[in-house]
Amino acid sequence: MRNILVIARREFFAYFGSATAYIAIALFLALLGITFFFEVPFLIAKPAFFDARVADLRPLFEWMMFLFAILLPAISMRLLAEERKLGTLELLLTMPVTESEVVLGKLFGAVGFLLVALVLTLGYPLLVSILGHPDVGPLVGGYLGVLLVGTTYLALGLLASSWTSSQVVAFLLAIVISATFTFIDLVPEALGLKAIPAFEVLSFNYHFKSIARGVLDLRDIVFFVSIIIGAVMLTTWSLESRKWKGA
Amino acid sequence: MSTSQTSMISVQNLVRDYGPIRALSDVSFLIERGQVVGLLGPNGAGKTTCMKILTGFIAATSGQVLIDGKDIVEHGVEVRKRIGYLPENAPLYQDMRARDYLHFVARLRNIAPEKIKERIEHVAKVIQIESVLNQDIGTLSKGYRQRVGLAQAMIHDPEILILDEPTSGLDPNQIIEIRELIKEVGKDRTVILSTHNLHEVTATCNRILIVHKGRLIADGSPAEIQEQHGGSNTFKISIQGAGESVKDTLMGLEGVTDVVRLENQDQAATDWRLFGAADVDLRADIFNLAVQNGWTLLELHHERQDLETIFQRLTLT
Repeated sequence: MRNILVIARREFFAYFGSATAYIAIALFLALLGITFFFEVPFLIAKPAFFDARVADLRPLFEWMMFLFAILLPAISMRLLAEERKLGTLELLLTMPVTESEVVLGKLFGAVGFLLVALVLTLGYPLLVSILGHPDVGPLVGGYLGVLLVGTTYLALGLLASSWTSSQVVAFLLAIVISATFTFIDLVPEALGLKAIPAFEVLSFNYHFKSIARGVLDLRDIVFFVSIIIGAVMLTTWSLESRKWKGA
Repeated sequence: MSTSQTSMISVQNLVRDYGPIRALSDVSFLIERGQVVGLLGPNGAGKTTCMKILTGFIAATSGQVLIDGKDIVEHGVEVRKRIGYLPENAPLYQDMRARDYLHFVARLRNIAPEKIKERIEHVAKVIQIESVLNQDIGTLSKGYRQRVGLAQAMIHDPEILILDEPTSGLDPNQIIEIRELIKEVGKDRTVILSTHNLHEVTATCNRILIVHKGRLIADGSPAEIQEQHGGSNTFKISIQGAGESVKDTLMGLEGVTDVVRLENQDQAATDWRLFGAADVDLRADIFNLAVQNGWTLLELHHERQDLETIFQRLTLT
């Protein structure tokens, strides 16, 4: 556990050692504010906060999930791809640490960044609570939901980052994977077809909405946790496979 | 207990394939405690592959590496605790200060938190990087980056140091400094360094392993390699005033195994090549023989091959 925390700490501070983290968070907060408080005519059919005049926080979390689908791949892309490119992965993996410790350390460091971003969004529910009386259940469920879905995006992004030494490729791969899982339940609807249950079961959006309503169904939590564990295991395997491939 | 189990490093029948290409082919050697060993070979010979296997970064296709009797695959984490490694080009986190990076490595190396500061200061003093400890690694010169790389490899006082091309890309002054450092740290630990530079190994190592096309083609001290691979120990002489019987007279010298007349342009002198036993220096005897027989010795040259010639001959094919 100690090794995981040492690596996580290094990753966390590496984000805030450059301007990237600050720009990403500022952009995220600005876009979240605009999309939540004002009408944006796509993705979410509900009227924006000031149009609906209802203290409903669910659209805020839905927007967070959509924005995270793009923002978090930009955060996860460097985790292993950069190490591979610079050769630092060789030094890291020849220290007395296991591949799974490296993977978990990297993931926890990135989750640290996600937590900072989430803490900084607290101003929005606070503002809503001044203007109205939002329900506490969806607020807690919403944050738990975005934390789960955000960690899932990061775990998938980390997996993509383990496949390549190019950050751009890692970013694009992560976006494709994240977007596919997020919106897969909306595909039949967009094509004018009936909903496909298998797509709903796989959809982040579907499971997230459930949690964001404030209903903590164990199935939804197990869904996200399973994907995170699966991605961590695949990333570990991807790192271990270098021994035979020699990358 | 077999020798391979008591040696510090035991490499047995190591083979490594990259797809259809065989990078290492049946390489075996033993390294004892306290030896400073140079893995020498031209670029692409298999040195880096060998080092990556020794440090556990990649696996061998077949064969076995034992570190102090423990298999590097089965006891990966335990074995890596005892090794300090500097990969080629010292890949370090450019965004960290040297001090923070060494602190990070010290934590991963399981050094007690209260001792980390002391270790960093000690190693910084030995490696002479005290003045740059608070600088970002990305702003350091290549020489200092290499030193920080060496410092991270030594932060946990490992029994084994593995250094891949430690002086590559450095200027001549930096090369001398790093070589001195390696000699210094090699006094009390096992060091393996790879290089394609012959002067590097002769300046720092007491044993050389020459690798070529994935095979170990020579193993021994510089003197042993000269003896084993140096070919005949020959002397070229040019004599004036000698009669027809000169060849027989030269053959009569103790230690001479053959005498061959060489073609030459000078009508007044005759040139000869004398073949001697491997470790015999015949120059004084040849001189005395010339004096006794009243010959004028115009030239006397010991042609014993130096390491550079041997290395070229072994690795040019």
